[in-house]
Amino acid sequence: MTDLSFQRDAYLDGIRRIFPLAVPGVPFGFVIGVLIAEEELLPSFTSWMSSSIIFAGSSQLAALTLLADSASAMVVISTVFLINSRHAMYSAALRDRYGHYPLITRFILTYVLIDQQFAVVETAPELEAPSDRYRLWHFFGGGTVLWVMWQVTTALGVVLGGVVDPAWGLNFAVPLLFLGLLMMSLKDRPGVVAAIVGATVAIIGRNFPQGSGLLLAIVLGVLAGGVAETRLEDRT
Amino acid sequence: MRLWLIIIASGIVTYLTRASFIVFGDTLALPASAERSLKYVAPAAFAAISIPLVLGGDGFEGFGDDVPRLVAAGAAAAVVVWKKNLPLMLAVGMGLFWLLR
Repeated sequence: MTDLSFQRDAYLDGIRRIFPLAVPGVPFGFVIGVLIAEEELLPSFTSWMSSSIIFAGSSQLAALTLLADSASAMVVISTVFLINSRHAMYSAALRDRYGHYPLITRFILTYVLIDQQFAVVETAPELEAPSDRYRLWHFFGGGTVLWVMWQVTTALGVVLGGVVDPAWGLNFAVPLLFLGLLMMSLKDRPGVVAAIVGATVAIIGRNFPQGSGLLLAIVLGVLAGGVAETRLEDRT
Repeated sequence: MRLWLIIIASGIVTYLTRASFIVFGDTLALPASAERSLKYVAPAAFAAISIPLVLGGDGFEGFGDDVPRLVAAGAAAAVVVWKKNLPLMLAVGMGLFWLLR
């Protein structure tokens, strides 16, 4: 059994690398908190607990909006599932790196497998061949920052309310962040094909029921990347 | 109580998506070709999330006109390609966005 005890430098590296990705989420968390406070039909504390229970911003926003609109339980839960089903793609993509840890460890680490975390562990070249121990504590370092940031910013939004005006456009940092992650993830031509197909389908499907357009876009983008890879290989 | 139950159920389905292959990977098999394509999850997902928001701005409030948003996004994308630096990209993108709108 390999040694997986706490490794300080790995934990601190994880914190350092996630930081630029965590900052754009601050206004987003704040805005969700403000919406929770303003929604009189839903008790604020229970709504805020979605930050730890669901821990996925865009789906929390969708769920709370639907609940305030007295949607049925099935509609809310299936919407959350569809919006977050992209995480299953992350889970599949990371299985080679994290699938062999002890079961309890895997139970805990997958709880903080969100977009930004995937971006860091998927794109950091330093993580291709480190020890299991380093990779694990690096993951927890990033996960800690993202989790604490999300609980605190959504709570601050509830408590402080309208201190941050949505008209300032701070939320634009979120699409900018993902655009940056996109540019950094483009490494070859099949990757570009995957991105173009993903973006195109997402635009066409943006009004598909319950956010299903996003999942469809990712699945078709990945498939297109695979097809492009095979085609390019055949040509050479 | 109903709200609690819905949030908890939503949390469980969300957790299951993340746990799927890493926790239950031994029982979930993927065809070899799909396995190989998984390296395209990052570009496909990040493009599908970012591009509709940058182009249309729906889902978020207060993005304002198209021109500042598109110029800021274009400059930010160029900064990432050129410098590989996310904090710098965010500073340039947000700075231009505020200047122009």
